[in-house]
Amino acid sequence: MNGEKLWKIFQQQDADRDSVDLVNIEPRAAMSRRTFIELIGFSAAAAALAGCRAPEQKIIPFITQPMAEFTPGVGLFYASTCGGCSASCGALVKVRDGRPIKLEGNDLHPLTGGGLCAVAHAMVFELYDSDRLRQPMRGSQAATWDEVDAEIKKQLDGIKQNGGKVRVLTSTITSPTTLAVIEKFLTQFTDGKHITYDAVSTAAIRKAHLKTHGREAIPSYKFDAAKLIVSFGADFLGTWIAPVEFTRGYSQARNLRDGRHEMSRHIQFESRLTLAGSNADRRVKVSPAEEIESLLLLAKLVAAKTGQQAPAEIASFNPTNLNPRLQQVVEQTANELVKLKGASLVVSGANDTDAQVVVNFINNALGNYGATVDLNAPSAQKQGDDEAMAELVREMNAGEVKALIISGVNPAYDHFARNEFTSGFAKVPLKISLNPTRDETSANADFICPQSHFLESWNDAEPRRGTFSLSQPTIAPLFQTRAYQESLLRWSGDERNFYNVLREHWKENIFAKDANFDELWDKSLESGAYTIERTAAAQPAFASSDVGNAATRLKTRAMTLAGKLTVALYEKILMRDGAHANNPWLQELPDPITKITWDNYASVSPALAEKLQLEEGSVVRVSNGATTIELPAHIQTGQHDDVIAIAVGYGRTHAGKAGNNIGANAYPFVSFDNGTFQYLANGASIEKTGAKIEFASTQRHHTLDGRPIIKEFTLAEFISGHAGEGERERQSQSIWKDHAYGEHKWGMVVDLNACTGCSACILSCQAENNVPVVGREEVRRQREMHWIRLDRYFEGDGETTKVVYQPVMCAQCDNASCESVCPVLATVHSSEGLNMQVYNRCVGTRYCANNCAYKVRRFNWFDYPHDDEIANLALNPDVTVRTRGVMEKCTFCVQRIEEKKILARNEGRAIRDGEIQTACQQSCPAQAITFGDLVDQESRANHLKHDERDYILLPELNLRPAISYLAKVRNTEEA
Amino acid sequence: MSLRTARIVSLVVTVVGAIVLLQNATFSWLGNQQGYEPVQPIAFSHKIHAGDNQISCLYCHSAAEKSRVAGIPAASVCMNCHSQIRKDSPEVQKIAAALSDNKPIQWVRVHDLPDHVAFNHSRHVSAGIKCQQCHGPVETMERVAQFDSLFMGTCVSCHRTHREVTLDKTGKPVIAKEATPKRLMASTDCSVCHH
Repeated sequence: MNGEKLWKIFQQQDADRDSVDLVNIEPRAAMSRRTFIELIGFSAAAAALAGCRAPEQKIIPFITQPMAEFTPGVGLFYASTCGGCSASCGALVKVRDGRPIKLEGNDLHPLTGGGLCAVAHAMVFELYDSDRLRQPMRGSQAATWDEVDAEIKKQLDGIKQNGGKVRVLTSTITSPTTLAVIEKFLTQFTDGKHITYDAVSTAAIRKAHLKTHGREAIPSYKFDAAKLIVSFGADFLGTWIAPVEFTRGYSQARNLRDGRHEMSRHIQFESRLTLAGSNADRRVKVSPAEEIESLLLLAKLVAAKTGQQAPAEIASFNPTNLNPRLQQVVEQTANELVKLKGASLVVSGANDTDAQVVVNFINNALGNYGATVDLNAPSAQKQGDDEAMAELVREMNAGEVKALIISGVNPAYDHFARNEFTSGFAKVPLKISLNPTRDETSANADFICPQSHFLESWNDAEPRRGTFSLSQPTIAPLFQTRAYQESLLRWSGDERNFYNVLREHWKENIFAKDANFDELWDKSLESGAYTIERTAAAQPAFASSDVGNAATRLKTRAMTLAGKLTVALYEKILMRDGAHANNPWLQELPDPITKITWDNYASVSPALAEKLQLEEGSVVRVSNGATTIELPAHIQTGQHDDVIAIAVGYGRTHAGKAGNNIGANAYPFVSFDNGTFQYLANGASIEKTGAKIEFASTQRHHTLDGRPIIKEFTLAEFISGHAGEGERERQSQSIWKDHAYGEHKWGMVVDLNACTGCSACILSCQAENNVPVVGREEVRRQREMHWIRLDRYFEGDGETTKVVYQPVMCAQCDNASCESVCPVLATVHSSEGLNMQVYNRCVGTRYCANNCAYKVRRFNWFDYPHDDEIANLALNPDVTVRTRGVMEKCTFCVQRIEEKKILARNEGRAIRDGEIQTACQQSCPAQAITFGDLVDQESRANHLKHDERDYILLPELNLRPAISYLAKVRNTEEA
Repeated sequence: MSLRTARIVSLVVTVVGAIVLLQNATFSWLGNQQGYEPVQPIAFSHKIHAGDNQISCLYCHSAAEKSRVAGIPAASVCMNCHSQIRKDSPEVQKIAAALSDNKPIQWVRVHDLPDHVAFNHSRHVSAGIKCQQCHGPVETMERVAQFDSLFMGTCVSCHRTHREVTLDKTGKPVIAKEATPKRLMASTDCSVCHH
């Protein structure tokens, strides 16, 4: 550690200790001991009455014995593709007794490996969302498929005869077969067009590549091959294009395990604190104007240093808004980039074609095309075409569109000019929504033909050209829903089901003609992915003709932004564009940086807050003239004073019971400019309303009282062996006798250098262990139930904010402080080193939680609702659903340990290292978590425990935790 | 509910509960299902099948080797034999009807452990524990009744005395007589069954 003070809460920065009163961490019960015992008598008597005869239960076996692989009570894994966003990550779906209960990463997937993001884990809950439509609707009336099909076909036939525009509006579709189905549907009409719309768009990257390389494409970015990453506001670890794939590559290039001493370097220029920026080795806080000028200056310097011919506008560029310090930082960055020519990567998160053109210019000058940026294998993710969407809104308002079919989009909520969209929508004679719920847009449609969930449907995906994956149904549709592709097929007069269409498409277009189709299909279905080997081809040539004009426009843009307050819109890692707002798992997941749940807010810098006399939670009115919204303010260190950052995806009105009226809708701040949606709204004003709310924030909860628990080194310190210095003592003296471990002793190592804070582990754990959602009010009372707490520590002043993430779950201590205080032996030590938590013994004294040094125990204050019979289908039958008054916590997924132990013993062999994977470990995109048997001297976990960066939390307490951490290393040396 | 009401209700419930419970002749212990012998929708006799005709338990309960549950056979499994044998029996015709009507048979569950207990059949079957150890002489039962209390004491007393089971070369389970440092007894850790 470099002696810098770490802090978690903004107000805490100057205080010596966190002000949380340790004694009152769990609120006291207002009940005497005597009353408590009397009431226990009542409960016992009631239980006795209920228990004199158990209710009769039925066992209902199959009528016909299913396939041989199916065994009741045994989970089966099916390779599939996540449909949570357009990234189309490879997933394994765990199916228990016919119902999908968990998504895991598919380690055979070439792009995402075994990683998944938080949103993917929450998708199971969405399958069992009882707010989904259960049958097709005609307006607000329930109908049957035959009825709606007949009426829709009749109306479409009318359009076929009379002519008129038919438009299909969808979110990004990475499925080649679906695109073929849409195309086939549209060929029936004289003027049919498919429009792709993404609420949060990256269209500028495609437009920029059309200008500079002649290809309208998003290239694939290779974060694993880059030795130096320079990002201008792109949150590539959080939300940008394909965060799981990028996180995987990024952490591979920064892996310091197994004696590696090299890691990539990451410099981030940004105005608000993003997840990627929080992981950067050097984070440069800039205003939006400074960000643009830094990019231009970087282009100029890189061109000069590489001898690249630069247009006059760039060669003569002189920054007007950059102070000398920033100019120096940009110069250093340029020097580093030039040193690592061909092994660096510059990206920008701006949806501004001009900025992307300049980025392309820099990457080209550095020779990164072909090395870290590949246009020959373009990405098919995020294909939204902002111009086409604007044209559609115009056509609709002009009354030209005769039929509009929407799928997976909700422009009545997330289009910046939603009033314009809805007025145009109302003028379309035939409006069909294929969305699964009656959302803001569907509510005004003539027909809603709800699509099946992706876990109920066949599909395919080609997230990157040449990399295919399949999606297979893991349950029959729960409701009267239909795959949207099948709806389009019916209306094209094609009666085939989509499965046959899919197979035929793969046979014709994807597999080689001479291949054995069935064999290849089965293999692809089993592994979930199929890759077409490409022959290496040269990258398309770079044309610099547009760079000059782009630079000129950027200069003007920087001038207009300079010194003005700007609203910066962004996606939260959990809520993304708001499509999944009705998912309580996502609503309750704390944002990794702000730690706030169940809300969006206007993030302001500490200086701006002081100027406006804002406190955390003060409600402010943010306006840019055209749009005004009221939101509570959140004071965010590391944010530039010129920026108010607001997350989109909130303020839904037709999401469902969990998502309605949470936060405020910030989409109206978006503008359409220069052919793309702009997520920066300049000329904003902010004023205090006087009201104040309390956030459901977890940042103060379960704190370790300011004790130093993060270890961090610079790469130079690490290489010179300093990581092993300092306290490594594992005290040997104890009043307790040592545990004698026989067969196994389970342990875990978490690499803080790999962890990016993406929070996927929290939701993976929640899905695996039936962790309940408690709601906003209860989170305010510190009663959230997540078994993994992702601690986030800030370091440094507001200028150079550095962030460290640390997942903390039960450490399964050998000298556990919880075990010695439990009066009923509900928490005891197992012969394999686990702190077992025996729910049926627990009487809820909460002594254990109070005595836990790591604050990882969670108490069930209520019987959290399990009255939604459909939602209950998401429960894992291998894990007890805890009742009120019971303490619970992580036990290293003991159900998974037992399952694999039984399997190994039944097969008469030892457990293989790596065979047992905890839920958090399995889907970590950064592979930060390693679990294993510490008795096994050869195990991976044991190996990592001997890493020089290995340390344990609070060693002075001599708790001997089974979890240790590998210290964070920052590559602060200039390359 | 105020505390005062709770006290009164508590007292009344306790007294009434005690009277109700003590009148019940079959009651021996809280929640004990020992001897539970519900009438099943089909008068299936384990005595005829497992006893007289010596059909292996695992023929029908095939999941017991692979899963935590033993599994109830699908109607189609019954018809493997009954499409030839005793086709005219009214009970067999009920199975045939279930198949032809596509209506599953709703058996009444006899052995039902609490939800917080995870018992795994496969481990015990592979370890060579006989089904009768817990289920009693099912091969003599016309109608299945719960033989054992299936209380935790039953499980733990066995786990305390049984050694680690391994398979010999022929695949036969061998129960080690002595615990060695590496080879422990069947575990009595809580988390083996409770998670």
